[in-house]
Amino acid sequence: MPMLFFLFLLVCYWLSGFGILTLFRIRLKPAYMVTLSLLLGVAVASFVPFVLQLLYITINGPTVLGALVLVALLLNIPSFLRMRRSGFAVLTRPFGGGRFRVKPYELPYWLVLGFLIFVSVWRCYYWPPTSRDALSGPETIAEYTVREQTMVNSFFRLDLWSTNNQFKSPFLISLQVIYKLAGFPFGQVWLCVVFISFTVFLYHVLRERLHPVLAGLLSLLFMMAPEIYAYTFMILYDYSNMVFFCVGLYFLYQGLAGGAFAGAGDRAQAQPVGVGPQETVSFAGLLLGIATYIRSETLVLVVLFLPVIIWAQWRMVGRGGSAVAGGIGSAGAGSMESAGLGDMGSVGMRSVGGGVRVSAGVVLKKMALTGLFFLLPSLVGYYLPVQLYINHYLPVHYDIGTLVNKNLSDWHPLLQRYGDIVSKLLFGSFAIHLWGYLFYITSALFVAELVFVRRFSREACFWLYAIVVVYLALGVMGFALPMFNLTETTKRAIFKIVPLLLFYLANNELVLRLSRWISGWEVGGNKKLAMGAVVGGGVKAVAPKVAPASGKPGPVKAGGKAGGGTGGRGVAGKAGAGGSGGGGKAGTEGSSGGGSRKKNRKK
Amino acid sequence: MKVFLLTLASCALVLIVMNAGYYKEWFDGKPRQYWFDFLKEKDDTGDEVAIKKARYGVVYTISMRVKEVVEKKNMPHAVILFEPNSYYRDSLRIYNNVRAPEPAVFYYYTGLEGVWTNSPDVGKANFIVRITKNKGVTLDEIKSPQQLQQILAGFKKYPPIL
Repeated sequence: MPMLFFLFLLVCYWLSGFGILTLFRIRLKPAYMVTLSLLLGVAVASFVPFVLQLLYITINGPTVLGALVLVALLLNIPSFLRMRRSGFAVLTRPFGGGRFRVKPYELPYWLVLGFLIFVSVWRCYYWPPTSRDALSGPETIAEYTVREQTMVNSFFRLDLWSTNNQFKSPFLISLQVIYKLAGFPFGQVWLCVVFISFTVFLYHVLRERLHPVLAGLLSLLFMMAPEIYAYTFMILYDYSNMVFFCVGLYFLYQGLAGGAFAGAGDRAQAQPVGVGPQETVSFAGLLLGIATYIRSETLVLVVLFLPVIIWAQWRMVGRGGSAVAGGIGSAGAGSMESAGLGDMGSVGMRSVGGGVRVSAGVVLKKMALTGLFFLLPSLVGYYLPVQLYINHYLPVHYDIGTLVNKNLSDWHPLLQRYGDIVSKLLFGSFAIHLWGYLFYITSALFVAELVFVRRFSREACFWLYAIVVVYLALGVMGFALPMFNLTETTKRAIFKIVPLLLFYLANNELVLRLSRWISGWEVGGNKKLAMGAVVGGGVKAVAPKVAPASGKPGPVKAGGKAGGGTGGRGVAGKAGAGGSGGGGKAGTEGSSGGGSRKKNRKK
Repeated sequence: MKVFLLTLASCALVLIVMNAGYYKEWFDGKPRQYWFDFLKEKDDTGDEVAIKKARYGVVYTISMRVKEVVEKKNMPHAVILFEPNSYYRDSLRIYNNVRAPEPAVFYYYTGLEGVWTNSPDVGKANFIVRITKNKGVTLDEIKSPQQLQQILAGFKKYPPIL
């Protein structure tokens, strides 16, 4: 019976997540659609018992499961409306078309990854939660929520001086409640959904950029980071927080880069992407909002990415005051194809041919709106559990002001903290026990790129910025909040950096060269082909920076509608259409650039 | 042929990673061991309590024993006082083997209210769990506020720790 409920919940997650992706007009390859749908579905589910509690509705099987179904249906109203107009294909199209081809050399990695996943899933299912942070807070609250049908239950009548875990996000409580109601006495198995979805997502992201041999290797190194692996079957906040944070940043970059994502560099599996960068940035904001809901201090990190958005938009505006086609959204129809990976910021503003000149005021307004839509989910994700729930629902309160470092003018502890993070958590024997050799490998390749290549691609810069931002913010948080200790809280917060290392490595020029070399060798010495469009060959799209003026999307092969995709809206859309690179074979050949492969080679 | 060579390369890389430095130690000690555990656990017919006993160890066993005794004595409002863990550490030196559960965790295990010696609600305590080297674990009733004060005075130099 629990297995039936498990499958039912999976369907609910998938539907809810798919609904959200549809709302944001996100259309990607099936592997992304499925994994993102499930991840988003878990996130939606984590709000359900919490919102029921906020509305003072009894939390029991019928209300929770009913609410899950209701939410899944509500989120899919736009899909249903489209289905009435265009038929059932609206629902199936996003999951079709992208053939997934497995190469024999991927199998060794898959076997090991599969083994690690299996063992983790079993432990998740079989053993009860063990971490003290879960038992002295969310797990016990969830247990008594099921018995007493409210999240504000007898647990709060206890002596709780030794713990502050009752104040942590309802994310964990809600998911535990759902699974306990579904017949899993220890809950927990939702973590398997997050874990597997993220692993598959990460592998595909790496595979977009690198040859599968290298993508598999990086995935293996990530999976074999001991500390992170342990948290794939030990429920706490940090693994889920890492997942949504890193996926959020991934989409943020894609939005800033003009939405030239999935499919680029992947000839066989290229899937049309019909989303404008504006929506992608907002979608990234949503994912980061979920991360903030899971761990409230993520808000600090999200704010630190606002400058990147503003900078990227400012670059788009063009130099000298007057602007071309507002902001990120201006990438427009052609952006997917014409931008090219790593061409962050150049999209739209250079689409002079079709660009619409607008005033700086309009552009600033657009920038403010983009920033707002990016930040708003995180503000909500912070406000609901921290301000509203703790202050107005819980019988005990949490005065975080009393926990702030009283001596903020003395910066020595801050410097000490930065030093400790590097010497104890990132490097050294303890660090190897936590993350394996990932930090060493990344550092070596970073130095090698710095010395031998002497430049970083925009995408590599973005990921390096992200790593530095997390590192700096963790130091400040540890300095400002002494309870944010080094060996527990900061250590787990470093989870967020680890996938970023992989994203950086997938854009490290030396790794890319190696990837291209393997791809070239594999396809039989046709270097030009290998450089341009080899499957997973680490193709850095050689897209024309100036998109052709012709706004007409060219015929598209398997790449589908990407060439003339939806792009920006309003003014932006107009400009974008002008800037379209036309489709041609772009979508199918992995060049992601505006024109054909031949054009790219020429460039 | 090239695909075959790449497959060999993948196998080699997997083997190298799994045998490199700490990865080998970790893989043997954790995932591989978990696999052997799985082979035993999959045939296990133990119920939820048995699994919890295996997982949470002696603290859970003590807690459940306390619950049994309280239920036998039919005391619906039992509040259990625990000795401080620093007492086990510094005086009895059994901290590595036994420790008192946090009140929140004790509630999760048993549904009973527990307090530590510095708890604001310590005045409500009507039972105390005592752990000694000779007698093992006993649950004694606290019969009067004076007795409770005497007990608390005895633990004054042992602040509660996790």
